This record gives sequence, structure tokens and C-alpha cells, in this order.
Amino acid sequence: MKNLSFTRISIWIYLAVFFAYLLGPLIIMSATAFNSPSFPRMTPWECLTFEWFSALFQDERILNGIWNSILVGAGTVVLSVAMGLAGALMLTQIWPKLRATYYTIIIAPILIPGVVIGISTLVFWDRINRMLGLGADSFLSNGLFLTVIGQSTFIASYCMLVLVARLQRYDVALTEAALDLGATHAQAFRKVLLPFMRPAIASAAVLAFLASFENYNTTTFTFGEYPTLTIELAQKVRYGITPAISALAFIIVVLTVFAALANEASIRRKELVAMARKKATVEELESGKLRLPGFLSSNSAAVALVVVACATVAVAGTAAVYSPQQCIAEVQEQKRLETEQRIQELRRQRELRRQEQQQQQGETAPQAQPSGNNSGFGGVFNPGNLSGDSSSGEDASPTEEPPAGNNSGFGGVFNPGNLSGGDGGGSDN
Amino acid sequence: MPVFLKEFFKRNGTGMGSLMLALVLFWTIGLIILPQLSMLDFSFRPNLPPPEIGGPKDVYTLENYKYLIYGPEGGSQDYNAVDLKVFFRTLVAAVCVTIFNLILCYPIAYYLAQTKGNHIRIFALMLIIPYWINEILRAFALRIIFGETGVLNNALVGLGIFDTPFDFIRNDIALYAGLGYAYILLMIFPIYNVIESLDRNQIEAARDMGASWVKIHQRVVIPYAKPGISSGCTMVFMLSAGALAAPQILGGPSSLWFTQLIYQQFNDNSDWPQGAAYAVVLLVTCILLVLAVMRLFKVNMGDIGK
Amino acid sequence: MSAGVGVDLENLWIRFGDFVAVRDANVHIKGGDFFSFLGPSGCGKTTILRAVSGFLDPSEGRVLIGGNDMKGIGPNKRPTALIFQNLALFPLMKVWENITFSMEIKGASARERRKRADELLDMIALPGQGDKLPSELSGGQRQRVAIARALCAEPDVLLLDEPLSALDLKLRQHMRTELREIQQRVGITFIYITHDQGEALTMSDSIAVMKAGVIDQIADGKTIYNDPSTAFAASFVGENNVFRGRIKQIMGNEALIETNRSGTLLARISTANQGRMKAGDEAMMFIRPEALALAGEGAAGSNIVSARVNHEEFEGNVFNIFMEGDGGKELKVSIPNVGQSFDDHTGQNITLQYATENAVVVPAGELAAE
Repeated sequence: MKNLSFTRISIWIYLAVFFAYLLGPLIIMSATAFNSPSFPRMTPWECLTFEWFSALFQDERILNGIWNSILVGAGTVVLSVAMGLAGALMLTQIWPKLRATYYTIIIAPILIPGVVIGISTLVFWDRINRMLGLGADSFLSNGLFLTVIGQSTFIASYCMLVLVARLQRYDVALTEAALDLGATHAQAFRKVLLPFMRPAIASAAVLAFLASFENYNTTTFTFGEYPTLTIELAQKVRYGITPAISALAFIIVVLTVFAALANEASIRRKELVAMARKKATVEELESGKLRLPGFLSSNSAAVALVVVACATVAVAGTAAVYSPQQCIAEVQEQKRLETEQRIQELRRQRELRRQEQQQQQGETAPQAQPSGNNSGFGGVFNPGNLSGDSSSGEDASPTEEPPAGNNSGFGGVFNPGNLSGGDGGGSDN
Repeated sequence: MPVFLKEFFKRNGTGMGSLMLALVLFWTIGLIILPQLSMLDFSFRPNLPPPEIGGPKDVYTLENYKYLIYGPEGGSQDYNAVDLKVFFRTLVAAVCVTIFNLILCYPIAYYLAQTKGNHIRIFALMLIIPYWINEILRAFALRIIFGETGVLNNALVGLGIFDTPFDFIRNDIALYAGLGYAYILLMIFPIYNVIESLDRNQIEAARDMGASWVKIHQRVVIPYAKPGISSGCTMVFMLSAGALAAPQILGGPSSLWFTQLIYQQFNDNSDWPQGAAYAVVLLVTCILLVLAVMRLFKVNMGDIGK
Repeated sequence: MSAGVGVDLENLWIRFGDFVAVRDANVHIKGGDFFSFLGPSGCGKTTILRAVSGFLDPSEGRVLIGGNDMKGIGPNKRPTALIFQNLALFPLMKVWENITFSMEIKGASARERRKRADELLDMIALPGQGDKLPSELSGGQRQRVAIARALCAEPDVLLLDEPLSALDLKLRQHMRTELREIQQRVGITFIYITHDQGEALTMSDSIAVMKAGVIDQIADGKTIYNDPSTAFAASFVGENNVFRGRIKQIMGNEALIETNRSGTLLARISTANQGRMKAGDEAMMFIRPEALALAGEGAAGSNIVSARVNHEEFEGNVFNIFMEGDGGKELKVSIPNVGQSFDDHTGQNITLQYATENAVVVPAGELAAE
């Protein structure tokens, strides 16, 4: 028994560590969206702010990226679901000798690195373009087209896997029955096979859209004039990061949680309804008096969904009226005081040193004055940096500023304006 | 018309059959086979300005592959030490990430598959949600944590474990954590799917006969879960080796990933044939490695993706 | 009521690669008949049905419906409706939508369809069940919905592919009567596929017995049962005792058989083989268990068989006696239970007699598997 409870505890510790690794980064990233320093960080916590959200919504490139992502996503969903469905149907009726080869071919794109798919797409369509004698601005070298084509190459494989799983439970006799009753092949497809496949098609479409939305490796070679959100994000993250990205991440996290809960709630509700229908008597069904369970009854996912929705509304409401200016001002005041204290301290030390030097060396003292600049506290003495603080706090895109490039460990600490460079500078060089 | 084609059209109708065939052919030939062949062909050609393409200088050459091994002609070194080092480091690191992920994910997949109850659905949701978040953002999140003034360093210094912040990024720890993080789900799901279909009675029976947990996993669960494990490992390995976002965001300034070299050839040097050659090398090496390992563990290609 | 549309198969061959599924089938099905193809699984009967409904093209020969060659006409253009073995009801459509699917295809309005569905639901005795899903019905109800769906298409020929095989015994027997009634009422041609001779015998006007792609005999049920033309037909339809041997002498429509085990016996030559058999031919003689009776001691003649009893069983309406038979098969006798006393004969030799017209001789051939 003792042994068992030990196993139990270690399982729970393991689970806790695992989910901390899995969810921790997302939570911390979300939190940084609400902290006022212009470098995304959770500690030390300074002020609750919503300004990164407004910064996000004013960022033209991000908004444009979202729009491009939606365009690419829509194209990819249509193309890859269509190809995936055709591929899955073909798989169920292909000549048995060809089956293994065919399966290998259509599953291979999942395993081919995205970079390779991006390059091969680019190279191939460029060649087609040249063979047809079209110019550099033709449809075939359009970033939108190339991205959709490149992404669909492997996303169609995902769709195919999702669709074939459901197709395996499809009875071909249903199509034959429809044909036998006078339907054309197209009618049989539309009225019988398609409704049966609809849940899987919906899953495949969602999967395809998400995969397209987050794809980077392939898109980075093909996007041309149409940088998607992911491309824009990568540019931003590589060349200086701000909490506006955290804000975007937070929005995506909330949307994801929302979608997941909604999906879960609707699945649970369907189960409950099916159960109720099964239990119901013929009379109840016929008279239409069957009482179906309410939306929230015994459906924890639905409850959670409502809670999340309420929380979102509450946060948005707070954001509309809340102003962090007071807090930011206080923090800045405090920082200024700290800095001043520091300066006083240093001055005093220097004064002391100078007095010592004077005592020791007599007349040579004035030459030694700039020695402080190399000491690692250099930034502190520069009044220009201090005045920059207040402006960078409100600046919508402080990342436009070049990184301060101050590699000393301490210089940045006292200077909020340098924060974006303090960490970022280290890895961007 | 061949018999099977006639039967195909008989079964699917001329219109629907043609549409289906067209889509499948476009996908398999137009999107999968021809582009790969085209890239292969391209990698054997010299880097020429557009007007000279197809001209007398456009001949097959091994130049691009030689470059990877020997470096630029007349270079100071005998071998292209930089690129080769990056290449092997990428492969080794990808293998390490795969093994790390397997060790991390096997217990959780087993736990999820063999435990019943409502909290399993919640766990499943919690697993899937991070996977829906953009790859870039996931890397970004880790960068916030592993940064010099990030949460982790603040905590470690605050607790007095380190005196000075540890540079996780320069030491590639952030990169490995990020790659592992990115593909957790791809490792868990195949294993989960297989273990879920394992009859619980088999485990009970083994336990009944006095087998230890280690023994049960070694003799019962792992052999049964082999297709799932190999599927997960293959995907994680291929995706790690082919990853671009995580190395770009989480990689140290001095350490490159092989895909970054390909990216540089394409975007910075505009040397497409060179980039294509590197891509071919990456693809072929990865496939050979995977096939070799699959052969070693006796699993089939057909198990992948299940 | 019209006379119905007939179906003809002319020199029909169907091959799958090297495998011959149907070999030179020639069948004339009269309009308005209930016609059954009876045979063990894998004999090619479903293949014939698929050729008639248009899912398969014959390799050779023709399928005619109402005298029209069906070559090149797809299943959706033929005047046939098929009831599938697993019924193939559309799982996501309600019962009424299932039934009137053929009308939806033709573009009928929902109101028309509803009305027709209600009529058909009344006919199949499922009034008011139109809004259920097929999964909410019982097996027998689903069966009837499938029939209604097929009938709604107003086919000239209804094709049924073992539609009762999924039902339990009681329901199956009930549905036989019901199917026959429906056929009588609508008056169209039914082509029925089954491996169950009980179904074929009870419902059909005509039966084709099939074996390995070949049609052995086409006749009405009584003829097939009483006057089989091949060893297979004799052994497949109903229980039968076989006596192998050689024809010793032909005497008009009767023949003396030199049997391997039971001496020389006299039997009637089956109608189809009269005039085609001659002395010295290998032959088989069949006698039904119920056509054999216990004979008194010392009985002798060319209609007397004696054998050792292996075991006996009491089945309620009959006593069954199993004796050592020919070729490893037991010889079975069924004696009606009319309240007589019944001795245990196990281990004894007993003597049986039969009426010559109840013993049928056919050329030696393959027997149906048990």
C-alpha cells in the first residue's frame, strides 16, 4: 500500500512537471502582455497595463499579416481538403498492388521537412513559369499562389489521414443504393457520402486552417509579396521583441481555449441528447414532448465556457476604463528616486575618492574625472537615457529603436529604455 | 482504356471520377513528385543569372555538393568544416531531442491511454491547446522564460542557486527545450493511440504473474506500442531536423541549424542551386536515417501516420 | 395490374481476372414472377444480381429488361431497385427521407414526398414512424423501410440480395409471408437471392439453383424438390439420402441401380434426364428421409434397404433414425410421430422400404457441402 501511494505521488509530481513545461511558457507569455516594461517580462512586476493590446491593433504589418494568413488559410483549406478527400477515396479503391506505393507517396509530405517542401515548390513553379515564358509577375510566381500550393502539399496529407479514418467506416453500399434509386454519381456524392463525411471534413478543415496559419518553414520560402502573420511575427521576434507580441499570443491563447471548450461542450451536449433520445419512449418522440437536457446541465465544459466568456468580458471592460498612467508614473518616480540615490551615492564615493586622490597626489586630480564611464554604470550618468524613459513607455513600437548594445550586465537594469535591448541585444548580435 | 480505369469510371461516374483523378494526380505528381525531382535536378546545376539559364553554361555539375564537403574552391581549408559541423550537429541534436521527447512523453501517453475518467479529457484538451498556438509564439514564450532577465534566471538568481544569470540561449538549452516543446503532441498521440487499444487485461495478467512494472513495460507494453513509438519518433526527428523557426528564435548567435544554412543560401546569398543541394542532402540523410532505424526496430512504413 | 416486366439473361458470362463468377447463364424470368436464385455463398448469385442492377458489366452475353438490352445503361437509369443485404439505409436521413430519396432525386417537393412516405409507411405497417432515424428502428422495421424505399422508386423489377439474412429466425419466417404478400399486391417482378432453401421454396414462383457460377436447374419449388435434375440440386434443396452406384438397366422412365452398399434398387429417372441415361452410367439415387418407412421383417424386393442403426433422436413431430450410409454420409429416416410406440433400434440392423416414384435417379455429380 505504501508503495502504491508512493507511485501515485510520483505520477502526480510527474504530471505537474509535465504540464508546467507544457503550459507554463504560455501562461508566462500571456502575463507579460499585461506588464508595463517594454521588454516582455513577468518579473519584476511593474504595472498592469493594456497598452500592448492597443499597440498591437495599431501595427499595420501585423494586421496585414493576419489578412494574408486568412487568405492563404482559406485557399489551403479548400485545396487540401479537396485533395485529401480525393486521395482518401482513391486509397479505398486503388488497385491493391499499387496501394502501398500510393500510400507512401501521399504520406511522405508529412515527413519531408517543411523547408524542403518550400524550396521544391519555389524551384518547380519557377521552372514552369520560365517554360511557359511568363514574367516574374505572373500568377505562377505570386506569393499567395505559391504559399497555398506549398502548404497544401503536406496539409492535404493530414486531411487525408483524418478523412480516411472516417471513410473506413463508410458502407459503399450506401452510394450504390443512391445510384440504384436513380441518383447520378454527383448526387450520390453530395447527398449521401458528403453528409456522412461532414464531421471529418469539418475537422480536416479546422486542422488545415490551423496548420496553414502557423506554418513558417514552408511559407518563409514562398510568401513573396504576401507575408503571413507567422512570417511577420518571426521577423519581429528575430529583430527585437515587445509585449505587443505577447498580447497577440494572449489573444490566440484565449481564442484557442474558447474554441476548445466550445467544441468540448457541443460534443458533450450531443452525447447527452443522444442518450435522452435513446431513453425516450416512442410516444415521447412522436408527440415531440421529449425533454432534452438544458445547455448547462451536467456539462462541465459548457460551464467552463461560460466562465471564460464572462472573464473575457470582464477583462475587456476593465481594459476600457482602466488607466495605468498613475502606476506607471509612480514606478517611474520610484525608479528615478532609486537612480538619484544611486547617483548621489556614486557622487559621494567619487567625492571621497577624489578627496583621497587629492590628498595623495595634490594638483593632478581634474584629469581623472571620466573614469566612471567604463565602470559598467555608464548609462546612469547619461541624462539623455533618463529622459528617454518616459517616452518609450508610451511609444507604440519601441522595437523600432536600435538595440542599445550595452553588453554589461548592470547598465540596463537602471534604465527602462534599455530593457528592450538588454536581453534582446544579447542574442540578436 | 485499361480495365481498372474503366472500372474506376464505372464506379465513380465519368464526371466525379475525372475530378477525383485530376485532384489526386495534381497532388501526387504536380505537388509531391515533380517538385522534388525538380529540386534534385536544380541542385546539380550551376548558379546562373536568369538569362543564362538553359544556355551553354547550364550543364550538370557536382559543384554544389562538393561545396558542402570541400568548401569554396581555393579556400584555405581542406574541408568545409563550418557547414559540415553544422550538418552533423543538427542531426545529433535532432536525435537527442527525439530521445528526450520519447522519455518525456511515453509515461504521459501511457498514463492517458490507460486511465479512465473525466480528468483525462481535460488533460487531452490541455495537451492540444498549446499545439494550436503558433510555432513562432511558442518559441517566443520560451525565449521570454530563458532570457537573461527572464523568469527562470530571475528565479534561479533569486533563490541563490546561481550568482549570475545563466545564458540558456548561448548554451543551446533554450533551443533544445524549444524543439522538444514544439513536438510533444506529435510524440504523445501516436503512442497514445496504440496503447489505448492495448487490452488492459494483458497488463493485469502480467502483473498477476508477478512481473515488475519495468518488466511489464519491457515485455508487454513497449513491444505492442512499437508502431506508435516509431511513428512518433520519426515525426519528431524529421520535424526537429527540419525545424527553422525554433533555431532562428532560440538558437545562440554562434550555433546554426542546418536549415538556417539552407535559408541563408536562398535568401541571403540568392544561390538557389546551392540551397537546393543542401536541402537534398538534408532530406536524403534524414530519410536514410529513419529507414535504417525502422529496419533496426522492424517497423513498416505503413505504420506511420496511424 | 400489368403483367410486369420480364428479365432475360442471355449467354451471360462474368469474369474477374481469371476467375469465372458466372458461366454461360441463360435465364428467362417472367414478368410479375417471384424468382429466386438459390445457391451456397460464393456461387455467383449476387454477381448476377449486380449485373442485372447495373453495377457490373457482363464479360459476355446480354441482360435484357422488358426486352431492352441494358448494355451501357448505368444502375441509376435502369428500371430496377435493389434491396441490399445490409439494407444500406442512409443513416443520417430520417425514415421518410430515406423512403422518398428517389423522389428527391427527381426534384419532388417536400410535401409530395411527405405524402407518399406516409402512404408507404401505412403499407408497411409503420404509420407515424417517419421522423425516426433508421438507427432507432428494430431490425424488422428497418427491413420494411428498405422495401418501402425500393418500392417508392416504382421499379419494374425489384432485386433483393438476401435481405432477411440479418434477422432472427422468427422474424425471418414472418417476413417471408410479408414479402410474398407485398409482391402479390404490387405485381412487379421480384428477383430474390438466397442461400436459404426455405425462403426460396416458400416465396418463389420459380427457382434457379446455382453452383459455382453455373445454373443447375430452373423450375418451380415443387419440381426442384421432387424432381431435381442434378445431384447438386437434389442434395442442396432439402435433406436427401444419397445412394451411389451404376445403372444396371433402364426400364422406360425407371432404372435399376447397382448401388455400392445397398444392392440393386429401383428408382424413377428425373424428368430432365429421361432418355439421356443408359446402362453402365454412373448414377446417384436420392430418397428423402420422410419417403423411407420401416418395413416388416423378411421384406424383400428392389425397393428395400437395410442398414445398421447408429443412433436415434426424437424431434417432436418426427423420430429420426440415423444409419450407416453411403460414402461416409449417414442414412436418415424420419418417421412421423402419430402417437405410435417406438422401439430403440440402436445397434440393430433394420429394413426400410420406399415407393419407387419417391426415389429419383440423376447422373453422378458433385454434392452440396453440408
